[in-house]
Amino acid sequence: MKAAERPKIISAICIIGYISVIFTFPTVFSPAIKKIGDLVPAIYGFIVACNFMAFIGLWHMKQWGVQLFLFTFFLKTTFFILINDLGAGTIAGIISSIIFSVILLRFYPKMDVNL
Amino acid sequence: MVFLSLIKESVLFALQSLYANKLRTFLSLLGITIGIFAIIVVFTIVDSLEKNIRGSIESLGENVVFVMKWPWTFGPDYPWWKYMNRPNPEYNELFDLQRKSKTAEAIAYRVGGRRTVKQKGNIVENAVITGCSYEYYKIKSFDITDGRYFTENEVNAGNNVAVLGAKIAEGLFPNNQYPIGKEVKIAGKKAIVIGVFKKEGESMLGNSMDNQVVIPFHFAKYILDVRSENAEPYIAVKAKPGITNAEMKDELTGIMRGMRRLKPMVEDDFALNETNLLSKNFDMLFDIIGIAGWIIGGFSILVGGFGIANIMFVSVKERTSIIGIQKSLGAKNYFILLQFLCESVFLSLIGGIFGLLLTYLITLAARGNIDMEITLSYSNVILGLTISVLIGIISGFVPAYSASQLDPVEAIRSN
Repeated sequence: MKAAERPKIISAICIIGYISVIFTFPTVFSPAIKKIGDLVPAIYGFIVACNFMAFIGLWHMKQWGVQLFLFTFFLKTTFFILINDLGAGTIAGIISSIIFSVILLRFYPKMDVNL
Repeated sequence: MVFLSLIKESVLFALQSLYANKLRTFLSLLGITIGIFAIIVVFTIVDSLEKNIRGSIESLGENVVFVMKWPWTFGPDYPWWKYMNRPNPEYNELFDLQRKSKTAEAIAYRVGGRRTVKQKGNIVENAVITGCSYEYYKIKSFDITDGRYFTENEVNAGNNVAVLGAKIAEGLFPNNQYPIGKEVKIAGKKAIVIGVFKKEGESMLGNSMDNQVVIPFHFAKYILDVRSENAEPYIAVKAKPGITNAEMKDELTGIMRGMRRLKPMVEDDFALNETNLLSKNFDMLFDIIGIAGWIIGGFSILVGGFGIANIMFVSVKERTSIIGIQKSLGAKNYFILLQFLCESVFLSLIGGIFGLLLTYLITLAARGNIDMEITLSYSNVILGLTISVLIGIISGFVPAYSASQLDPVEAIRSN
Protein backbone atom coordinates (compact mmCIF):
# COMPACT_ATOMS: atom_id res chain seq x y z
CA MET A 1 0.00 0.00 0.00
CA LYS A 2 1.37 3.39 -1.01
CA ALA A 3 1.61 6.01 1.74
CA ALA A 4 -0.80 8.93 1.73
CA GLU A 5 0.48 12.50 1.67
CA ARG A 6 1.89 13.51 5.04
CA PRO A 7 -0.67 15.46 7.09
CA LYS A 8 0.47 18.73 8.65
CA ILE A 9 -0.07 17.42 12.16
CA ILE A 10 2.42 14.57 11.53
CA SER A 11 4.92 17.05 10.05
CA ALA A 12 4.56 19.10 13.23
CA ILE A 13 5.04 15.98 15.41
CA CYS A 14 8.16 15.05 13.44
CA ILE A 15 9.67 18.56 13.73
CA ILE A 16 8.98 18.58 17.50
CA GLY A 17 10.51 15.08 17.60
CA TYR A 18 13.69 16.11 15.76
CA ILE A 19 14.11 19.10 18.07
CA SER A 20 13.58 16.92 21.14
CA VAL A 21 16.15 14.41 19.84
CA ILE A 22 18.69 17.24 19.35
CA PHE A 23 18.14 18.30 22.97
CA THR A 24 17.97 14.75 24.32
CA PHE A 25 21.08 13.50 22.53
CA PRO A 26 23.63 15.39 24.72
CA THR A 27 21.95 14.06 27.87
CA VAL A 28 23.04 10.53 26.84
CA PHE A 29 26.59 11.32 27.89
CA SER A 30 25.71 13.82 30.62
CA PRO A 31 27.42 13.34 34.01
CA ALA A 32 23.99 12.75 35.62
CA ILE A 33 23.19 9.75 33.40
CA LYS A 34 26.77 8.44 33.63
CA LYS A 35 26.55 8.44 37.44
CA ILE A 36 23.61 5.99 37.41
CA GLY A 37 25.64 3.15 35.94
CA ASP A 38 28.24 2.09 33.37
CA LEU A 39 25.72 0.71 30.86
CA VAL A 40 23.01 3.31 31.41
CA PRO A 41 24.32 5.75 28.72
CA ALA A 42 24.38 2.86 26.23
CA ILE A 43 20.78 1.87 27.02
CA TYR A 44 19.57 5.46 26.97
CA GLY A 45 21.53 6.08 23.75
CA PHE A 46 19.78 3.11 22.13
CA ILE A 47 16.39 4.57 23.11
CA VAL A 48 17.31 8.01 21.71
CA ALA A 49 18.58 6.49 18.45
CA CYS A 50 15.37 4.43 18.06
CA ASN A 51 13.32 7.56 18.77
CA PHE A 52 15.18 9.43 16.03
CA MET A 53 14.65 6.59 13.53
CA ALA A 54 10.95 6.51 14.45
CA PHE A 55 10.58 10.19 13.47
CA ILE A 56 12.34 9.54 10.13
CA GLY A 57 9.83 6.74 9.52
CA LEU A 58 6.92 9.00 10.46
CA TRP A 59 8.23 11.72 8.14
CA HIS A 60 8.03 9.21 5.28
CA MET A 61 4.56 8.06 6.47
CA LYS A 62 5.70 4.52 7.24
CA GLN A 63 3.85 2.20 9.59
CA TRP A 64 7.13 1.00 11.08
CA GLY A 65 7.65 4.59 12.22
CA VAL A 66 4.54 4.40 14.41
CA GLN A 67 5.49 0.94 15.67
CA LEU A 68 9.01 2.12 16.54
CA PHE A 69 7.59 5.28 18.16
CA LEU A 70 5.32 3.21 20.43
CA PHE A 71 8.18 0.81 21.20
CA THR A 72 10.52 3.66 22.19
CA PHE A 73 7.75 5.31 24.20
CA PHE A 74 7.33 2.09 26.18
CA LEU A 75 11.13 1.71 26.58
CA LYS A 76 11.62 5.34 27.59
CA THR A 77 8.84 5.25 30.19
CA THR A 78 10.19 1.99 31.67
CA PHE A 79 13.69 3.48 31.72
CA PHE A 80 12.59 6.63 33.56
CA ILE A 81 10.58 4.59 36.06
CA LEU A 82 13.58 2.31 36.68
CA ILE A 83 15.97 5.21 37.28
CA ASN A 84 13.26 6.91 39.36
CA ASP A 85 13.32 10.10 37.28
CA LEU A 86 9.69 11.12 37.29
CA GLY A 87 10.04 14.89 37.43
CA ALA A 88 7.83 17.45 35.75
CA GLY A 89 9.83 17.24 32.48
CA THR A 90 9.46 13.47 32.28
CA ILE A 91 5.73 13.59 33.03
CA ALA A 92 5.26 16.30 30.36
CA GLY A 93 7.20 14.09 27.90
CA ILE A 94 5.01 11.07 28.71
CA ILE A 95 1.79 13.07 28.31
CA SER A 96 2.91 14.55 24.98
CA SER A 97 3.96 11.07 23.77
CA ILE A 98 0.51 9.69 24.66
CA ILE A 99 -1.14 12.52 22.68
CA PHE A 100 1.23 11.91 19.72
CA SER A 101 0.50 8.18 19.87
CA VAL A 102 -3.27 8.76 19.66
CA ILE A 103 -2.81 11.07 16.65
CA LEU A 104 -0.39 8.67 14.93
CA LEU A 105 -2.67 5.68 15.49
CA ARG A 106 -5.50 7.62 13.79
CA PHE A 107 -3.36 7.93 10.65
CA TYR A 108 -1.81 4.46 10.97
CA PRO A 109 -4.08 2.70 8.37
CA LYS A 110 -3.20 5.35 5.76
CA MET A 111 0.53 4.77 6.13
CA ASP A 112 2.83 2.64 3.97
CA VAL A 113 3.42 -0.89 5.26
CA ASN A 114 6.80 -1.28 3.51
CA LEU A 115 10.22 -0.22 4.75
CA MET B 1 24.41 -15.40 8.70
CA VAL B 2 22.89 -12.78 6.41
CA PHE B 3 23.51 -10.17 9.07
CA LEU B 4 27.14 -11.22 9.52
CA SER B 5 27.82 -11.15 5.77
CA LEU B 6 26.12 -7.75 5.72
CA ILE B 7 28.42 -6.42 8.44
CA LYS B 8 31.45 -7.90 6.66
CA GLU B 9 30.40 -6.26 3.38
CA SER B 10 29.75 -2.92 5.09
CA VAL B 11 33.11 -2.98 6.83
CA LEU B 12 34.78 -3.73 3.49
CA PHE B 13 32.89 -0.84 1.84
CA ALA B 14 33.89 1.44 4.71
CA LEU B 15 37.53 0.38 4.42
CA GLN B 16 37.45 0.92 0.66
CA SER B 17 35.96 4.36 1.22
CA LEU B 18 38.63 5.08 3.81
CA TYR B 19 41.34 3.94 1.46
CA ALA B 20 40.02 5.67 -1.64
CA ASN B 21 39.38 9.05 0.03
CA LYS B 22 41.92 9.17 2.81
CA LEU B 23 41.98 12.91 3.35
CA ARG B 24 38.20 13.32 3.13
CA THR B 25 37.59 10.46 5.56
CA PHE B 26 40.34 11.66 7.88
CA LEU B 27 38.86 15.15 8.06
CA SER B 28 35.36 13.77 8.64
CA LEU B 29 36.51 11.40 11.36
CA LEU B 30 38.57 14.12 13.02
CA GLY B 31 35.39 15.72 14.38
CA ILE B 32 34.34 12.48 16.08
CA THR B 33 37.89 11.85 17.31
CA ILE B 34 38.17 15.32 18.86
CA GLY B 35 34.66 15.10 20.34
CA ILE B 36 35.23 11.71 21.95
CA PHE B 37 38.69 12.81 23.09
CA ALA B 38 37.32 16.03 24.66
CA ILE B 39 34.51 14.30 26.51
CA ILE B 40 36.42 11.24 27.67
CA VAL B 41 39.56 13.15 28.67
CA VAL B 42 37.48 15.50 30.86
CA PHE B 43 35.54 12.59 32.40
CA THR B 44 38.82 10.70 32.98
CA ILE B 45 40.44 13.67 34.73
CA VAL B 46 37.30 14.38 36.78
CA ASP B 47 36.98 10.69 37.78
CA SER B 48 40.66 10.52 38.77
CA LEU B 49 40.49 13.78 40.75
CA GLU B 50 37.31 12.63 42.42
CA LYS B 51 38.86 9.26 43.33
CA ASN B 52 41.91 10.99 44.77
CA ILE B 53 39.94 13.54 46.77
CA ARG B 54 37.45 10.97 48.02
CA GLY B 55 40.38 8.79 49.11
CA SER B 56 41.85 11.79 50.95
CA ILE B 57 38.51 12.57 52.61
CA GLU B 58 38.02 8.92 53.61
CA SER B 59 41.52 8.87 55.09
CA LEU B 60 40.36 11.66 57.45
CA GLY B 61 38.12 9.02 58.93
CA GLU B 62 34.60 7.78 58.27
CA ASN B 63 31.87 8.49 60.84
CA VAL B 64 34.12 11.14 62.33
CA VAL B 65 33.06 14.56 63.60
CA PHE B 66 35.70 17.25 63.97
CA VAL B 67 35.29 19.77 66.80
CA MET B 68 36.90 22.91 65.39
CA LYS B 69 36.83 26.68 65.50
CA TRP B 70 35.90 27.20 61.83
CA PRO B 71 33.05 25.41 60.04
CA TRP B 72 33.69 23.66 56.71
CA THR B 73 30.97 25.49 54.87
CA PHE B 74 31.91 27.81 52.07
CA GLY B 75 30.17 30.33 49.90
CA PRO B 76 29.57 34.07 49.59
CA ASP B 77 27.62 34.35 52.85
CA TYR B 78 30.34 32.89 55.09
CA PRO B 79 30.17 35.05 58.28
CA TRP B 80 33.88 34.78 59.13
CA TRP B 81 33.73 37.68 61.59
CA LYS B 82 31.44 35.58 63.82
CA TYR B 83 33.90 32.67 63.92
CA MET B 84 37.07 34.72 64.33
CA ASN B 85 36.65 35.34 68.05
CA ARG B 86 35.81 31.75 68.93
CA PRO B 87 38.27 29.87 71.15
CA ASN B 88 40.34 27.02 69.72
CA PRO B 89 39.56 23.51 70.97
CA GLU B 90 41.91 22.73 73.85
CA TYR B 91 43.68 19.57 74.95
CA ASN B 92 41.86 19.59 78.33
CA GLU B 93 38.50 19.46 76.56
CA LEU B 94 39.53 16.08 75.16
CA PHE B 95 39.35 14.48 78.61
CA ASP B 96 35.91 15.94 79.37
CA LEU B 97 34.64 14.65 76.06
CA GLN B 98 36.17 11.22 76.65
CA ARG B 99 34.55 11.07 80.09
CA LYS B 100 31.10 12.30 79.14
CA SER B 101 30.49 10.94 75.64
CA LYS B 102 28.44 7.75 75.36
CA THR B 103 28.32 7.66 71.56
CA ALA B 104 32.05 8.03 70.80
CA GLU B 105 34.28 5.06 70.10
CA ALA B 106 37.50 7.10 69.98
CA ILE B 107 38.42 10.73 70.58
CA ALA B 108 41.74 12.33 69.64
CA TYR B 109 43.30 15.77 69.80
CA ARG B 110 45.53 16.96 66.99
CA VAL B 111 47.74 19.99 66.29
CA GLY B 112 50.06 20.57 63.35
CA GLY B 113 52.69 22.81 61.86
CA ARG B 114 55.61 22.81 59.46
CA ARG B 115 59.19 22.42 60.69
CA THR B 116 62.59 21.26 59.43
CA VAL B 117 63.64 17.71 60.23
CA LYS B 118 67.32 16.67 60.19
CA GLN B 119 69.24 13.45 60.44
CA LYS B 120 73.00 13.96 60.29
CA GLY B 121 73.59 15.64 56.91
CA ASN B 122 70.11 14.94 55.53
CA ILE B 123 67.52 17.66 55.83
CA VAL B 124 63.80 17.71 55.03
CA GLU B 125 62.31 21.18 55.12
CA ASN B 126 58.64 22.02 55.63
CA ALA B 127 57.73 18.60 56.98
CA VAL B 128 54.23 18.49 58.50
CA ILE B 129 54.63 17.87 62.24
CA THR B 130 51.52 16.33 63.76
CA GLY B 131 51.17 16.28 67.51
CA CYS B 132 48.38 14.00 68.64
CA SER B 133 46.80 12.18 71.53
CA TYR B 134 46.88 8.38 71.76
CA GLU B 135 43.59 7.46 70.01
CA TYR B 136 44.58 9.31 66.81
CA TYR B 137 45.39 5.95 65.18
CA LYS B 138 41.78 4.82 65.70
CA ILE B 139 40.48 7.80 63.76
CA LYS B 140 42.93 8.44 60.94
CA SER B 141 43.33 5.48 58.61
CA PHE B 142 46.99 4.66 57.94
CA ASP B 143 49.32 1.64 57.77
CA ILE B 144 52.77 1.30 59.28
CA THR B 145 55.35 -0.61 57.23
CA ASP B 146 58.29 -0.56 59.65
CA GLY B 147 58.23 -0.32 63.42
CA ARG B 148 55.12 0.54 65.43
CA TYR B 149 52.75 3.28 66.62
CA PHE B 150 53.14 4.97 70.07
CA THR B 151 52.06 3.25 73.26
CA GLU B 152 49.60 5.08 75.54
CA ASN B 153 52.37 5.61 78.10
CA GLU B 154 54.66 7.20 75.52
CA VAL B 155 51.92 9.64 74.54
CA ASN B 156 50.93 10.51 78.12
CA ALA B 157 54.58 10.96 79.17
CA GLY B 158 55.36 13.02 76.08
CA ASN B 159 58.29 10.82 75.09
CA ASN B 160 60.46 12.08 72.26
CA VAL B 161 59.40 9.42 69.76
CA ALA B 162 58.26 9.87 66.15
CA VAL B 163 56.58 7.96 63.36
CA LEU B 164 57.79 9.20 59.97
CA GLY B 165 55.94 9.48 56.68
CA ALA B 166 57.40 7.50 53.77
CA LYS B 167 58.77 10.57 51.94
CA ILE B 168 60.31 12.00 55.12
CA ALA B 169 61.94 8.63 55.85
CA GLU B 170 63.32 8.47 52.29
CA GLY B 171 64.71 12.00 52.63
CA LEU B 172 66.33 11.45 56.02
CA PHE B 173 67.47 7.89 55.47
CA PRO B 174 68.49 7.56 51.81
CA ASN B 175 69.84 4.38 50.20
CA ASN B 176 67.38 2.14 52.05
CA GLN B 177 68.87 2.78 55.49
CA TYR B 178 66.79 1.29 58.32
CA PRO B 179 65.37 4.24 60.29
CA ILE B 180 63.90 2.48 63.33
CA GLY B 181 65.72 3.33 66.55
CA LYS B 182 67.69 6.15 64.90
CA GLU B 183 67.69 9.70 66.15
CA VAL B 184 66.32 12.65 64.16
CA LYS B 185 66.10 16.33 65.04
CA ILE B 186 62.70 18.02 64.66
CA ALA B 187 63.20 21.80 64.83
CA GLY B 188 66.33 21.11 66.88
CA LYS B 189 64.66 18.67 69.33
CA LYS B 190 65.89 15.08 69.37
CA ALA B 191 63.40 12.31 68.65
CA ILE B 192 63.74 8.55 68.23
CA VAL B 193 62.12 7.04 65.13
CA ILE B 194 59.83 4.19 66.19
CA GLY B 195 57.86 3.67 62.97
CA VAL B 196 57.42 4.53 59.28
CA PHE B 197 54.05 4.94 57.57
CA LYS B 198 53.23 3.06 54.38
CA LYS B 199 53.60 5.22 51.24
CA GLU B 200 50.23 6.72 50.25
CA GLY B 201 51.04 8.98 47.27
CA GLU B 202 50.02 12.60 46.77
CA SER B 203 46.75 13.78 48.22
CA MET B 204 44.71 16.60 46.66
CA LEU B 205 43.82 17.84 50.15
CA GLY B 206 47.47 17.86 51.19
CA ASN B 207 46.84 15.44 54.05
CA SER B 208 48.96 12.54 52.81
CA MET B 209 50.85 10.79 55.61
CA ASP B 210 53.94 10.68 53.33
CA ASN B 211 55.03 14.20 54.36
CA GLN B 212 54.13 13.93 58.03
CA VAL B 213 56.04 13.32 61.21
CA VAL B 214 53.64 12.17 63.92
CA ILE B 215 54.71 12.77 67.52
CA PRO B 216 52.94 12.67 70.92
CA PHE B 217 51.07 15.90 71.78
CA HIS B 218 53.10 16.60 74.95
CA PHE B 219 56.33 16.35 72.95
CA ALA B 220 54.83 18.56 70.21
CA LYS B 221 54.47 21.35 72.79
CA TYR B 222 58.28 21.79 72.66
CA ILE B 223 58.28 22.02 68.86
CA LEU B 224 55.03 23.79 67.89
CA ASP B 225 53.12 26.71 69.35
CA VAL B 226 50.14 24.49 70.18
CA ARG B 227 48.01 27.38 71.48
CA SER B 228 48.36 29.30 68.24
CA GLU B 229 45.62 29.20 65.65
CA ASN B 230 48.27 28.30 63.08
CA ALA B 231 48.52 24.89 64.75
CA GLU B 232 44.93 24.26 63.52
CA PRO B 233 43.93 22.30 66.60
CA TYR B 234 40.93 20.00 66.48
CA ILE B 235 39.31 17.19 68.40
CA ALA B 236 38.27 14.28 66.19
CA VAL B 237 35.46 12.08 67.49
CA LYS B 238 34.65 8.72 65.93
CA ALA B 239 31.16 7.29 66.45
CA LYS B 240 30.51 3.84 67.87
CA PRO B 241 29.16 1.28 65.35
CA GLY B 242 25.43 1.83 64.80
CA ILE B 243 25.55 5.48 65.97
CA THR B 244 24.88 8.07 63.30
CA ASN B 245 26.87 11.27 63.00
CA ALA B 246 23.69 13.24 63.70
CA GLU B 247 23.15 11.45 67.01
CA MET B 248 26.77 11.97 67.97
CA LYS B 249 26.66 15.64 66.96
CA ASP B 250 23.65 16.19 69.23
CA GLU B 251 25.52 14.68 72.15
CA LEU B 252 28.76 16.56 71.36
CA THR B 253 26.86 19.85 71.11
CA GLY B 254 25.43 19.31 74.61
CA ILE B 255 28.80 18.34 76.12
CA MET B 256 30.71 21.18 74.43
CA ARG B 257 28.12 23.80 75.40
CA GLY B 258 28.23 22.51 78.98
CA MET B 259 32.03 22.60 79.08
CA ARG B 260 32.15 26.12 77.69
CA ARG B 261 29.27 27.24 79.94
CA LEU B 262 27.19 28.66 77.09
CA LYS B 263 23.77 30.01 78.07
CA PRO B 264 20.71 28.61 76.25
CA MET B 265 20.24 31.61 73.98
CA VAL B 266 23.93 31.96 73.11
CA GLU B 267 25.15 30.54 69.79
CA ASP B 268 27.66 27.66 69.73
CA ASP B 269 31.26 28.89 69.83
CA PHE B 270 32.58 25.79 68.09
CA ALA B 271 31.93 24.00 64.79
CA LEU B 272 31.14 20.32 64.38
CA ASN B 273 32.44 19.39 60.93
CA GLU B 274 31.88 16.16 59.05
CA THR B 275 33.80 14.74 56.10
CA ASN B 276 30.57 14.57 54.08
CA LEU B 277 30.47 18.40 54.21
CA LEU B 278 33.75 18.40 52.29
CA SER B 279 32.42 15.76 49.90
CA LYS B 280 29.36 17.90 49.16
CA ASN B 281 31.52 20.92 48.32
CA PHE B 282 33.69 18.85 46.00
CA ASP B 283 30.63 17.21 44.40
CA MET B 284 29.51 20.66 43.25
CA LEU B 285 32.96 21.41 41.81
CA PHE B 286 33.12 18.08 39.95
CA ASP B 287 29.61 18.56 38.60
CA ILE B 288 30.63 21.94 37.15
CA ILE B 289 33.83 20.56 35.55
CA GLY B 290 31.89 17.56 34.20
CA ILE B 291 29.20 19.78 32.69
CA ALA B 292 31.84 22.06 31.10
CA GLY B 293 33.55 19.04 29.48
CA TRP B 294 30.18 17.70 28.43
CA ILE B 295 29.24 20.95 26.66
CA ILE B 296 32.63 21.33 24.91
CA GLY B 297 32.68 17.68 23.85
CA GLY B 298 29.01 17.77 22.89
CA PHE B 299 29.59 20.52 20.35
CA SER B 300 32.63 18.73 18.89
CA ILE B 301 30.58 15.55 18.56
CA LEU B 302 27.73 17.44 16.92
CA VAL B 303 30.19 18.77 14.32
CA GLY B 304 31.65 15.27 13.95
CA GLY B 305 28.14 13.88 13.40
CA PHE B 306 27.58 16.33 10.54
CA GLY B 307 30.91 15.18 9.07
CA ILE B 308 29.82 11.54 9.15
CA ALA B 309 26.40 12.42 7.66
CA ASN B 310 28.15 14.33 4.88
CA ILE B 311 30.54 11.49 4.06
CA MET B 312 27.62 9.03 3.99
CA PHE B 313 25.57 11.21 1.62
CA VAL B 314 28.59 11.42 -0.70
CA SER B 315 29.07 7.66 -0.36
CA VAL B 316 25.44 6.99 -1.33
CA LYS B 317 25.74 9.37 -4.31
CA GLU B 318 28.94 7.69 -5.49
CA ARG B 319 27.48 4.19 -5.21
CA THR B 320 23.98 4.89 -6.58
CA SER B 321 24.48 2.66 -9.63
CA ILE B 322 25.83 -0.17 -7.44
CA ILE B 323 22.74 0.18 -5.22
CA GLY B 324 20.60 -0.05 -8.37
CA ILE B 325 22.36 -3.24 -9.47
CA GLN B 326 22.08 -4.75 -5.98
CA LYS B 327 18.35 -3.99 -5.87
CA SER B 328 17.73 -5.30 -9.37
CA LEU B 329 19.45 -8.55 -8.34
CA GLY B 330 17.00 -8.91 -5.44
CA ALA B 331 18.57 -6.98 -2.57
CA LYS B 332 15.85 -5.93 -0.12
CA ASN B 333 15.46 -2.36 1.14
CA TYR B 334 16.53 -3.35 4.67
CA PHE B 335 19.70 -4.90 3.22
CA ILE B 336 20.75 -1.62 1.59
CA LEU B 337 19.71 0.31 4.71
CA LEU B 338 21.74 -1.90 7.04
CA GLN B 339 24.69 -1.89 4.66
CA PHE B 340 25.04 1.91 4.79
CA LEU B 341 24.11 2.11 8.47
CA CYS B 342 26.82 -0.44 9.40
CA GLU B 343 29.31 1.53 7.30
CA SER B 344 28.43 4.76 9.09
CA VAL B 345 28.64 3.10 12.53
CA PHE B 346 31.98 1.53 11.57
CA LEU B 347 33.40 4.88 10.42
CA SER B 348 32.19 6.58 13.56
CA LEU B 349 33.64 3.79 15.71
CA ILE B 350 37.04 4.27 14.08
CA GLY B 351 36.87 7.96 15.00
CA GLY B 352 35.83 7.08 18.54
CA ILE B 353 38.59 4.49 18.94
CA PHE B 354 41.17 7.07 17.81
CA GLY B 355 39.72 9.49 20.39
CA LEU B 356 40.00 6.84 23.11
CA LEU B 357 43.56 6.02 22.01
CA LEU B 358 44.49 9.70 22.27
CA THR B 359 42.98 9.82 25.76
CA TYR B 360 44.92 6.70 26.73
CA LEU B 361 48.15 8.29 25.47
CA ILE B 362 47.42 11.40 27.53
CA THR B 363 46.92 9.26 30.65
CA LEU B 364 50.22 7.46 29.93
CA ALA B 365 52.04 10.77 29.50
CA ALA B 366 50.47 12.13 32.70
CA ARG B 367 51.50 9.05 34.68
CA GLY B 368 55.16 9.98 34.41
CA ASN B 369 54.72 13.70 35.04
CA ILE B 370 51.93 14.09 37.58
CA ASP B 371 52.09 12.65 41.07
CA MET B 372 48.50 11.48 40.81
CA GLU B 373 47.05 8.37 39.23
CA ILE B 374 45.04 9.19 36.10
CA THR B 375 43.41 6.13 34.58
CA LEU B 376 41.10 5.65 31.63
CA SER B 377 38.34 3.69 33.31
CA TYR B 378 36.32 0.86 31.82
CA SER B 379 33.11 2.90 32.18
CA ASN B 380 34.62 5.79 30.20
CA VAL B 381 35.72 3.41 27.42
CA ILE B 382 32.15 2.05 27.23
CA LEU B 383 30.81 5.62 27.19
CA GLY B 384 33.20 6.61 24.35
CA LEU B 385 32.21 3.60 22.26
CA THR B 386 28.51 4.17 22.99
CA ILE B 387 28.67 7.78 21.84
CA SER B 388 30.53 6.73 18.67
CA VAL B 389 27.94 4.08 17.78
CA LEU B 390 25.12 6.47 18.58
CA ILE B 391 26.59 9.20 16.37
CA GLY B 392 27.09 6.62 13.61
CA ILE B 393 23.43 5.57 13.80
CA ILE B 394 21.95 9.05 14.03
CA SER B 395 24.10 10.65 11.34
CA GLY B 396 24.06 7.62 9.04
CA PHE B 397 20.40 6.71 9.20
CA VAL B 398 19.06 9.42 6.87
CA PRO B 399 21.59 8.74 4.05
CA ALA B 400 21.15 4.97 4.53
CA TYR B 401 17.37 5.27 4.42
CA SER B 402 17.46 7.44 1.30
CA ALA B 403 19.73 4.82 -0.34
CA SER B 404 17.30 2.05 0.57
CA GLN B 405 14.39 3.95 -1.02
CA LEU B 406 16.10 4.40 -4.40
CA ASP B 407 14.29 3.09 -7.44
CA PRO B 408 16.54 0.39 -9.02
CA VAL B 409 15.98 1.56 -12.60
CA GLU B 410 16.62 5.21 -11.77
CA ALA B 411 19.62 4.22 -9.67
CA ILE B 412 21.26 2.17 -12.47
CA ARG B 413 20.66 5.02 -14.93
CA SER B 414 22.22 7.58 -12.62
CA ASN B 415 25.68 7.22 -14.17
